[in-house]
Amino acid sequence: MLQDNNSAELVIRQAHVLDPATGLDGTMDVRLSSGRVAEIGQELRGPRELDAVGLHLFPGFVDVHAHWRTPGREDEEDIQSGSAAAAAGGFTSVVMMPNTDPIVDRPVVVSGLVRRVEQESRVRAHVAAALHVGLAGERLTEMRLLKQAGAFCVSDDGLGTASAGVLRNGMLYARSAGLPVILHCEDPTLATGVVHDGVAASLAGLPGSPASAEDAATATALILAAETGAKVHITHVSTALSAALVGFFEDRADVTADTTPHHLTLTEDLVSTLEGLYRVNPPLRPDGDRGGVERALREGVLDFVATDHAPHASEEKELPIEEAAPGFLGHETALAALYTDLVLDGRLSLARLVEAMSCAPGQWVGTGGSLAVGAAADLALVDLSEEWTVGRSTLISRSSNSPYLGRTLTGRVVATIVGGEPVHDRTGARFGIRA
Amino acid sequence: METRSFLTLEDASREDLREVLDLARAFAEGRFVDSLENKTVCLAFFEASTRTAVSFELAARRSGAHVISLSEKGSAIAKGESLIDTVVTLDRLGVDAIVLRHQAAGAAALASRHTSAPVINAGDGCGQHPTQALLDLYALSDAMGGFEGLQGRRVAVVGDVLHSRVARSVIPGFLQAGMEVALVAPLTLLPPDAESLGLPVLSSVDEALEWGADVLYMLRLQRERMAGALIPSVAEYARFYGVSRRHLESGALAMHPGPVNRGVEISGDVVLDASSLIPDQVAAGVCVRSAVLALSTGAAHRVAA
Repeated sequence: MLQDNNSAELVIRQAHVLDPATGLDGTMDVRLSSGRVAEIGQELRGPRELDAVGLHLFPGFVDVHAHWRTPGREDEEDIQSGSAAAAAGGFTSVVMMPNTDPIVDRPVVVSGLVRRVEQESRVRAHVAAALHVGLAGERLTEMRLLKQAGAFCVSDDGLGTASAGVLRNGMLYARSAGLPVILHCEDPTLATGVVHDGVAASLAGLPGSPASAEDAATATALILAAETGAKVHITHVSTALSAALVGFFEDRADVTADTTPHHLTLTEDLVSTLEGLYRVNPPLRPDGDRGGVERALREGVLDFVATDHAPHASEEKELPIEEAAPGFLGHETALAALYTDLVLDGRLSLARLVEAMSCAPGQWVGTGGSLAVGAAADLALVDLSEEWTVGRSTLISRSSNSPYLGRTLTGRVVATIVGGEPVHDRTGARFGIRA
Repeated sequence: METRSFLTLEDASREDLREVLDLARAFAEGRFVDSLENKTVCLAFFEASTRTAVSFELAARRSGAHVISLSEKGSAIAKGESLIDTVVTLDRLGVDAIVLRHQAAGAAALASRHTSAPVINAGDGCGQHPTQALLDLYALSDAMGGFEGLQGRRVAVVGDVLHSRVARSVIPGFLQAGMEVALVAPLTLLPPDAESLGLPVLSSVDEALEWGADVLYMLRLQRERMAGALIPSVAEYARFYGVSRRHLESGALAMHPGPVNRGVEISGDVVLDASSLIPDQVAAGVCVRSAVLALSTGAAHRVAA
């Protein structure tokens, strides 16, 4: 559905434009033409205009961590519904994780997905291939053939890589293949529980996974990244120590890292509900870790936010925690949860939030993340005053396992534009945009 | 009569190389015979070998030497005798040269410290394989109009540089011959300091040809590397690091120390192709090893110049 559209131009008038990548911060007009940002200024006019007074205009958000469950679990999400959810959250670019069924470990699966994305996705979507065959942690995948088939990067997400030796070879080979590596850092010999191994777990009588399960694996990954020179991205950092380790290696390795909206806004306190909904991996941590991760994001030690959007069918979540599948929806609530809990609370600046959701991940992916003239016209138009309640009926995803269900959040995406064309549009008659 | 061990090509000079190649030429042309009359050469092969073992044996016999063959199976090595004790035993029995093939790097150097007989390294672990490199230079010189013809030519060494004793000998050999050398391998099959060697690291045979390679020197990919996490699959390896007929259309020469994995390093139809020097490499084995035996035992001073 996404295509280069050279037919129309669009002028977005009088939005508050905020783009830390270019330093834009103020009320102005933006002209989009031929799928690109053509002009930024005042008094711009065009055949197609969008009156955006009172709204904020950001570079489109970029999510390097999404599970669209295709192929294999289209009952939970597919490319159409996943990309619609992403668009509803202001995301214009997404990386799809490979732990599907079958796992994305063969060139033919990659090329099939790339073709389907072209036909079915509302937003730009990149295919991450598996780092090792079957994500079994033994044999490397044919990364160079995967890249030729269209793979954007490789990842071990979902399971991690138990053997440091395999991980090291994987990094070396990925570097030879010219592919970045997204890593899920978890030591399987330590991560034997279902929630964080802390007070809440012991009170609830639940088996816990200690923070060391993540920290030890993160340290290993960082050391190997420094040694191999591979381009490594560590995803869903959830502990203060792992964040500090990333900071230590900032100048010693080609490494970046993200954390998630839920690890920034929720804590292990939710374990006491004993509800399967709140099971996630890595688990929700104590507030000390949450605060450490928040500080690391604020200071730029953690480079950006990724949602780990992980749809699950209700029969996999409406279970005791021990039996529930781990994972949360993420696309549609990311901005609102972070704006409500961090920005409105004065703990994170709006500019840093936009940098962490747009500019930094956009730079990592290589498209979007900037409103510079000539950049791809990927934008999110946001009403930062709108309050809305997260509910099954408001979610566009095919699943509804959001940890924010029932919460009223502030800030909502009004329109999302990819390559100059609206892919999500709640402007309606108010703005007179042709959708 | 002065003897000298023959352990490595790491610090061989251009003159050293030329000396061996000239002597090998004399052997090939029949100008030098019976150099090892009344000498005893022990072939101590503690690792399987076809072409190296056979060509050393032919070289020794054609030079008039008595040949003793020792293998791990039929010797006291199988009873747990150490390498040093074995070498000392051979020394006391009075052998005039020990040709050693061993599975551990440094074995030849270690052996040479425990015998007055010259030790000729016939391949030690991932360490060195100097006679292989010499016969490669011999065959390549033949194809390129003499040793001087190698000057300035470009050779791409392709494959498992990390685990290859051949690579550790041919690379210094090619460099001393005045050739430009590039490495073509994934980082999993390169030493960690490959880039600091100052040699270009290329990512496919196609890239090597773009770089201007006159010679594609393929290294053997050992079976255990195929099963490990060093390369993903034979298919991907062959696609990027294998030589097929189209690579040789521009006139590049293919070399391989053998044994070849057909369809992996080289597609089967190319192994015996006109632009393949592989048969010439094997053919050069006897005269080059005759020269090495003659030089190391001190018999070479009788060579007619």
